[in-house]
Amino acid sequence: MYGWIWRHLPGNAWVKALISLVLALAIVFLLFQYVFPWAEPLLPFNDVTVDQGMRAVR
Amino acid sequence: MTATGQDADVEGVEGTDDGGAPAAASRPAPRKARRRIAAVVSVIGELLITAGVVMGLFVAYSLWWTNVLADRAAHHQGDQVRRHWAESKGPDQQKELDTKDGLGFLHVPAMKNGEVLVKKGTSSKILNDGVAGYYTEPVKSGLPRDKTGNFTLAAHRDGHGAKFHNIDKLKDGDAIVYESQDRWYVYKVFATLPETSKYNVDVLNKVPKESGKKKPGRYITLTTCTPVYTSNYRYIVWGELVRTEKVDADRTPPKELR
Repeated sequence: MYGWIWRHLPGNAWVKALISLVLALAIVFLLFQYVFPWAEPLLPFNDVTVDQGMRAVR
Repeated sequence: MTATGQDADVEGVEGTDDGGAPAAASRPAPRKARRRIAAVVSVIGELLITAGVVMGLFVAYSLWWTNVLADRAAHHQGDQVRRHWAESKGPDQQKELDTKDGLGFLHVPAMKNGEVLVKKGTSSKILNDGVAGYYTEPVKSGLPRDKTGNFTLAAHRDGHGAKFHNIDKLKDGDAIVYESQDRWYVYKVFATLPETSKYNVDVLNKVPKESGKKKPGRYITLTTCTPVYTSNYRYIVWGELVRTEKVDADRTPPKELR
């Protein structure tokens, strides 16, 4: 999978490395900005109030 | 898309990964099929590694990044409240401002986390800004200025500011100080409940029986999740008002905070 991506990136090794880095950072950004905030309430790690068990269903 | 340009990688893994598949190891399978199996195995492997990295990132997000965001938000809103207070110093000293930015500040020396902004409501949208919220449901919280009542607060134990992270450091007799616009309310801890069900809403009652109190009084209740990093149970701390002090011009804190 990653090998396939690497072979399909344009340019020489340095350019590829740079593009890979940018892609990786973009994915981390998307995760932190959108995916994790969405996933967090669905996971049972951070409910602090009493009676949230019922409200979490919404 | 997988098997075509894969030769270089496949040669490398053949000896190890394909050994797991008996068909490939015992007799010389057609090269094409072997290559395909190797490609599938390597994609699965890479997906597993990716999943591990994503979970690691999620931990970083929960325990670090949400704190960064929450502290920033809480700081900003706290400044707003202090500004409102400064502006509204006038003849009507009696009213206590409850703006959408917040109501007052909680100081708990034993938790060693400075001041915690207190806002109305305990939805995650509010608590995620690194504040303590007072309950509006399922049991409506009293307010410190009420003659009797239970001032019930919730805040995060981890992430999102983790304002009640050190709640387990609170012992009987420790001070919990609430700062409103014109009054300091000094509470003393008298009971804790280190583990209770998340459905135990009785802890929020006006007279929380489990704390040992029978008569109405001016109580404060802190709730958060426990054990740390999970939220299987709730941790409860109760305090009772011992005195109030008028805020002077310099906002000199009561002796508990000095």
